[in-house]
Amino acid sequence: MTKPIVLPNPRLSAQASQVAGTTASLAPYLRAEGLSKAYGATVALSHVSLDVHAGEVHALLGENGAGKSTLVKILSGIVLADQGRLEVDGRPFEPGSLLGARAAGVSTAFQELSLLPNLSVAVNLMLPNLLKGPLGINSARRNEQAAAALLQDFGVTTVDPASLVADLSLAEKQRVEIVRALSHRPRLLVLDEPTAALADPGWLFDIVERLTGEGVAILYISHRLAEVRRLCRRGTVLRNGRSIATVDLTGTPDAEIFRMMVGTSQDEPKHKPMSNRQSIGPRLSAKGLTGRNVHDVSFEVGDGEILGVAALEGQGQRPMFRMLAGLEPMTAGTVRVDNKEADLRSPAAALRSGIGFLPEERKTEGIFLGLKAASNISLPILGRVLWGPFINHRRENAAVAEASQHVDLAKRYQAMRISSLSGGNQQKALLARVLLAGPRNLVLYDPTRGVDVGTKQVIYAAIRNFVDQGGSALIYSTELAELVHLAHRCLVVYGGRIVGDVAGSLLTEDRLVSFATGHGDIAA
Amino acid sequence: MSAVAGFPQAERQRRPALGRLLGSGAVMVTVIYLLLLLVYSLCQKNALSMTQFSDQLSNGLPLALGAAGGTLVVLMRGFDLSVAGVIALADVLTATQAGDGQLGALLCLAMVVGTGLLVGAVNGFLVAYVGLQSIACTLATMIICSGVALLVLDAPGGNVPDFISDNLTGTLLGVPVPLIIALVVLLGWVILRKTNWGVGLYALGADETAARLAGVPVRRVKFLAFCAAGALYGVAGMMLAAATSNGDPGAGTSYLLLVFAAIAIGGTTFTGGRGGLLGSMIGAATLMLLQKVLFSLGVSSFYTGIGQGLIMIAAVLIAALSARLARRMPR
Amino acid sequence: MKEAFMPGHAVADTRTTGRALGSEVITPLVLFALTVLLVIASRWISPSLGGFHQVAAIIVLSSFLMVVAFGQQMVVLIGGLDLSLPSLLTLGGILTFAWSGASGWSLIWILLVVLVVNGAIGALSGAGIAWLRIPPFIMTLAMGIIVYSAALGITAGTPRGHPSAALGSLFSGRILGLPPIIYIMILFVVFGTALQSYTPFGRKLYALGTSPVAAHVAGLHVAWLTVATYAISAAAAGCAGFLLVGYAGGATLVMGQSYLLPSIAAVVVGGTSIVGGRGNYISAVAASLLLTTFSTIISSIQILEGWRTIIYGCLILIAIAALREDVPLWLNRSLQRPSRPPQAPGAARSTQ
Repeated sequence: MTKPIVLPNPRLSAQASQVAGTTASLAPYLRAEGLSKAYGATVALSHVSLDVHAGEVHALLGENGAGKSTLVKILSGIVLADQGRLEVDGRPFEPGSLLGARAAGVSTAFQELSLLPNLSVAVNLMLPNLLKGPLGINSARRNEQAAAALLQDFGVTTVDPASLVADLSLAEKQRVEIVRALSHRPRLLVLDEPTAALADPGWLFDIVERLTGEGVAILYISHRLAEVRRLCRRGTVLRNGRSIATVDLTGTPDAEIFRMMVGTSQDEPKHKPMSNRQSIGPRLSAKGLTGRNVHDVSFEVGDGEILGVAALEGQGQRPMFRMLAGLEPMTAGTVRVDNKEADLRSPAAALRSGIGFLPEERKTEGIFLGLKAASNISLPILGRVLWGPFINHRRENAAVAEASQHVDLAKRYQAMRISSLSGGNQQKALLARVLLAGPRNLVLYDPTRGVDVGTKQVIYAAIRNFVDQGGSALIYSTELAELVHLAHRCLVVYGGRIVGDVAGSLLTEDRLVSFATGHGDIAA
Repeated sequence: MSAVAGFPQAERQRRPALGRLLGSGAVMVTVIYLLLLLVYSLCQKNALSMTQFSDQLSNGLPLALGAAGGTLVVLMRGFDLSVAGVIALADVLTATQAGDGQLGALLCLAMVVGTGLLVGAVNGFLVAYVGLQSIACTLATMIICSGVALLVLDAPGGNVPDFISDNLTGTLLGVPVPLIIALVVLLGWVILRKTNWGVGLYALGADETAARLAGVPVRRVKFLAFCAAGALYGVAGMMLAAATSNGDPGAGTSYLLLVFAAIAIGGTTFTGGRGGLLGSMIGAATLMLLQKVLFSLGVSSFYTGIGQGLIMIAAVLIAALSARLARRMPR
Repeated sequence: MKEAFMPGHAVADTRTTGRALGSEVITPLVLFALTVLLVIASRWISPSLGGFHQVAAIIVLSSFLMVVAFGQQMVVLIGGLDLSLPSLLTLGGILTFAWSGASGWSLIWILLVVLVVNGAIGALSGAGIAWLRIPPFIMTLAMGIIVYSAALGITAGTPRGHPSAALGSLFSGRILGLPPIIYIMILFVVFGTALQSYTPFGRKLYALGTSPVAAHVAGLHVAWLTVATYAISAAAAGCAGFLLVGYAGGATLVMGQSYLLPSIAAVVVGGTSIVGGRGNYISAVAASLLLTTFSTIISSIQILEGWRTIIYGCLILIAIAALREDVPLWLNRSLQRPSRPPQAPGAARSTQ
């Protein structure tokens, strides 16, 4: 069992214990009791209770489908609970709308960014209270000035308020989303996966520190346990729509938290040996790969090997992966699959060449929301389950069932519309589709993004099984711990080039961080 | 130049001026219009004369106003087919119900605007509050409106009061009246665009969920957009009656497709959130001019359609290409 | 903080949603039921209405719309729109009329050539939409204008040809008391439904309509699918023109004009979403039947054309409003017995 990596922040911990000490007698700022919400026969929340004190950063932990997003929606005023009591600052809290919640002092930074791409940063920040000029209509100048003041106040100096949101990078968009939530000076701030796209979470930690100093209560939702431990002292674990326990995080080891979240303990397998294969040459190799933000990248992935890729945001890893997937053009370089040159002019060609790609954003690039999960999964092999010119449903379902087994997707989910599945199950279905298409080389971009712990284990197992049966996997992940845990070897990309190649016992998070920030190898 | 000091690194994010010009649909369609005007002036003498220009304006204003109204709906990713119905209805109402003189004209204006508002309100209510798809709902209201138009006037005819037909197609202080009307509409748009409603319109065209989360009153914005569109169609119908001095219950049908062609050429995308009234109105003028150019080039009327179709495609391609170039510009 | 927008909008979502009894099944059933009701009710209006022969005549009349709606439905399914249908129908009719009858060409060959010619034109539209990224509205509108203009030029205003006895017999003949066209239509509907809902091609169209981006990433040949869809739509319009020549005994330059809006109406009333990815052909067929029945009955009532038009529009409005997505949900919920109080799965198990 690995020890959780806790980067101690003495100031924060002291503050937290101070807060905890003094608020024992104070009433919590937010108190939720017995919250329940059901959608037809599906229970999203059942008797969830938690409380958050002023000045406290309270973690909300749990798988997707555990009810976290429903709870966030209730707190944000987007959805009303069926039963239960919500109190904010001692008064009943029943916002009928997002703006009602805001008026009561509750503000949310959403996981699914809710910015308007065709409008400026300033307008996004100031909506719905745009500043008017002398004529009574919006004044761009005043809005931009106010927005600039806001951005500066929260330490964001690289974003021009007059620029369109569509022109920002994902990290900058996330910052703007967070600043927007902060701009309403809430007394309770809900942060839903705020660091998912941030390259440098330090910025957010500073803000959190400042806010808690001002007595703001923060509900912090994140899958990154290391972060959560750094910021939060208490956490509430949700599972299956119920609040399992509220724990003191410093006294609870990871294994126990995992057990509360999934009901089973997370088994840390021994260090993964690569299956001993006769060297049949690399399965997937790239030489001199060059394109947008990618400069002369070369690497090889062997048979049975899981090759990880670590990088800070925007270092060229995204175009690199998309080139392998046939989604972006290469200006130079060759890619070989099983020693044959691969045709990567389109995703269809890439698939034919033996590369199976799992895209970054499942909602927009991966799944087909209007179709059943089974139809999503069977898409690549429709030509193989025919009866004359028609689809043979029995054979189709059999193929889907078999593929679903590899990703532990329960049978009852297969016939449902994929839009009604949780994020984790959607990702499983997506992976099943990629596997079913039959490529021997997986190229996965952040496969466990926005996915719960249980699903992560399933995905890791599926990938390991896949390579063990003769194949290769190239994985990019924003979680270094995951790469250390899963990959046999790990490349580090910086500035569009490969700056590090770490394997075996040298594969540690510290070393990866050192390469990824451009500092080269750490002193041995 | 950044409006705010203290953002040195952020300068990079602003697009260069050329990029912004290219990306503006209105600019591109103006270029196309001017090119056509050039061609026209080469093959037709007195092409640039005042009477010609005034004539074009009178004939083109109904389409321009129809396109203006339609743009409001397209901006929020909808379709408004009722333009044909309201124009026909307003047209026949002007030809049958309008009174004489100034008062008659004013009352007529109130009548057509009121009718347009009513139809727009029905559309807006059904789309925004009941949740019907805009193309389906406006198809139905268009059919209903054409039916009402038939009841008012069952065959081309009627009598448009002289005051209306003379003045709306004439000049005021030397400026053609249609131009004044167009400018008034544009001025109104420039102002409305900067109101919360205008910003909300663009917001919900881009992403309705995000707009809702940002606090935009989505349903109200949609409703008002349909109402405003209806009012514009009403004025378009009155203008049509003035220009043709006649009422025709079937007048709207040819406008249906042309309105959306004008909108597309003018740079407003059907995916919502981009474009504006100016581009659509110039697009309408371009389409009308195109017909004249083809005619004066001696293209047989049989094959005029081919030319029209090809040029429409070309215009859209040019607009799309320039928008893409604008996006790719190095920043 | 002063709110610039009125508070109370963007109200909290208190609806509960569940799995709907497929609206794909309910919609056509409701539409068929409405049609039957209309036919029965029409007896009250006039004894000449509602009889077997009249019903057969209505089905025959609606067959052209059904064929055209097939193409429009597929195009709308992938998120597009085909405004060139009237011109392509006219083209099909003109070609058929020119080659049939005394010129001795076999009908089958004529149909094939019409399908191929129209299909090629449709493929061109699809190519412009897929590769040049021209919005479908503009592309098909322009193509329609071009085709119409070409037809106008070639025929010099008056299509010439000979009526074909064989083609006409599809409508005038009788097999088991019904004109052969009805049997052909049944086959067509079966074929169309099978293509859309039970073939890999159809499934890919649904995927493409739901999310073009995901379709591209998943390796679907988005461009070719688009080209094929518009080609099929154009071919269907040509087929409708072919049939119409048999029915009308000739071709005119405006024979297609009255089919554009009804094709959109049939598709939309049939519940196909304009953004793509939802809807099926059977519903469009049912809607075509309903619309044709309605307009036939309405035109036999002695009222002004204006009123007829108004009532027709109202019918479409009612049909659209009644067949929204929530209605099947509502029906579903009220048909269910009151459910047990909701229990979380595994609630019986205690927490550790």
